[in-house]
Amino acid sequence: MSNASSSSAPASVTPVRFSPRRVWTLAYATMTQLMRMKILPFLLLFCALVAAMGFGFSVINPEQQLTQFKTMSLGVLQVFSIVFGIVATALLLPKDLEDRTLYTILSKPVPRFDYVLGKLLGVLMLIASGLVIIDAVLSFILWLQQSMLFNAAVAQLHTENQDSPEAVAQMREIVARQGLTWNLHWAVWAIFLKASVVTTVALLLSCIASSTLFTIVITFCITIIGHGHAMIREFVFQPNLGSTATRISTFVLAAICPDLAQFDVVDSVANGEIVPWAAVYEMTGIAALYITVYLFVTHLVFVEKEL
Amino acid sequence: MSATPAVSVNHLTKVFKGHLGKGAFRAVHDVSLTVEAGEVYGLIGPNGSGKSTTMKAILGLIKPTEGDTSIFGIPSMEVASRRSVGFLPENPYFYKHLNGRETLHFYGKLCGMAGDQLKSRTEEMLALTGLEDAATRRVGGYSKGMLQRLGLAQALIHEPQLLILDEPTAGVDPSGSRIIRDLIIEFRSRGITVLVTSHLLEQMQEVCDRVGIMAHGRMVREGRLEDLIAVENQTELVFENASPDLLAKIDALVKAEGGGTRLLRSGHPRTTLERLFIEATNEPKKP
Repeated sequence: MSNASSSSAPASVTPVRFSPRRVWTLAYATMTQLMRMKILPFLLLFCALVAAMGFGFSVINPEQQLTQFKTMSLGVLQVFSIVFGIVATALLLPKDLEDRTLYTILSKPVPRFDYVLGKLLGVLMLIASGLVIIDAVLSFILWLQQSMLFNAAVAQLHTENQDSPEAVAQMREIVARQGLTWNLHWAVWAIFLKASVVTTVALLLSCIASSTLFTIVITFCITIIGHGHAMIREFVFQPNLGSTATRISTFVLAAICPDLAQFDVVDSVANGEIVPWAAVYEMTGIAALYITVYLFVTHLVFVEKEL
Repeated sequence: MSATPAVSVNHLTKVFKGHLGKGAFRAVHDVSLTVEAGEVYGLIGPNGSGKSTTMKAILGLIKPTEGDTSIFGIPSMEVASRRSVGFLPENPYFYKHLNGRETLHFYGKLCGMAGDQLKSRTEEMLALTGLEDAATRRVGGYSKGMLQRLGLAQALIHEPQLLILDEPTAGVDPSGSRIIRDLIIEFRSRGITVLVTSHLLEQMQEVCDRVGIMAHGRMVREGRLEDLIAVENQTELVFENASPDLLAKIDALVKAEGGGTRLLRSGHPRTTLERLFIEATNEPKKP
């Protein structure tokens, strides 16, 4: 055994700083890695499903038909983005560890924060790309359906000799309110924000747990709990309900889980209600706060993780 | 040679905490070693002897329970220490959707390389590891030997002064194994320090300047290979054109014989690294 000096003075070195370019390299690699997991065919299938849904509902009246289409397609889109965010994130870290890709990456001058941020951004970029494509398809179908329904309704009014300018204008207003508006894009934005928060939670859990299945199951549980956050808060602040221990554990649960109901604007949009700018700012701010906090905790966990 | 050692491991102990009722596991116990700049150092030991844990500690992938490790004087837990290291893990896999060239670009970019510097360095590494013809093929279709060579190329992409190779010839056929051995010899000639683990002791004997043998999480032998494999209580005489009679009367004949018989060398005969390994790792476990 050599008699190595036990007190070698550390050399003066320039620390490795956060690098957006490095994060982009990791994010881009993550995105292409996920795209190779047959995500694109799934996306195309979803678009075909949306297109089929757009014309598949029986005509009750134009307003209801457009509402049903938006409710269904936005609902499916929400589930798709959350499921994709959770599953993709839960798979990424364990796969990198299993393939030892993580070792080759972290044995380079790559801070661990850059790595987790790159992974998160890669997943979010793919979700965002998917949502942009689906939003475009959804908008086109809605616009097409809106035009067709309006023409059909005007023709019907004409047949019934009720096509007065007022009646036509009223019909135009009804169809336009339920048709393609900016509200649709805000709903898609809200879906993206919700998926981003859930994805960050999944990333945190995948840093703590070694099992992919555990990460997926627990993140789904947190997602479900997150949708009932208001009920949990109500329980915590009701002095007459439950024992102190139950209330404390419920409080901890409320503190851990994100309030995902904050991003629920799909029903409002489907019903033709206008989403105000203030609500969009608020949703975005809340999501940014959640993502920052969860990412910070993820960093604290990952920097200490034994690989 | 630089005064600062390439790798310094001082009294390293690593205990993994037990989970779900399992007791703690001491993977490495009070290991010290120094790898001088420019040498090839072989870390050998049976499976589970603590070699990989020691390597991970050197790379800052795990935190020592006790002791410390440094690379060119910079503590391993600092990310900056990895600027001068290239690492090839055992049986590496890379992103299957990338081809060989893209893989090297990816790792080069992580090291802050860009533009012409990255392109020329990538081509240089592809040429060095003999992967030029496979540069545009997806990594998913690479053989094990090609993956190992790509691993070497990515480890070298940022021109590190130190290479850490964990079982670089594992699962590789004899010709691929020889290519890797030749590359290690070439790295040494280029002044690159190499810390390598392998089960192929014959190859380790060919390439290493110094070796450390680990068993049960401890360093059981360490030193210059020539010194370690010398058998101290025996003397070796090497003759040229010796007859059977000469061998029978060896002491007298050496002094009396002239002509074509010459005493070429006298000293300690060498055992093989393999014998030394078996002997060292079969010693009773210390408490």
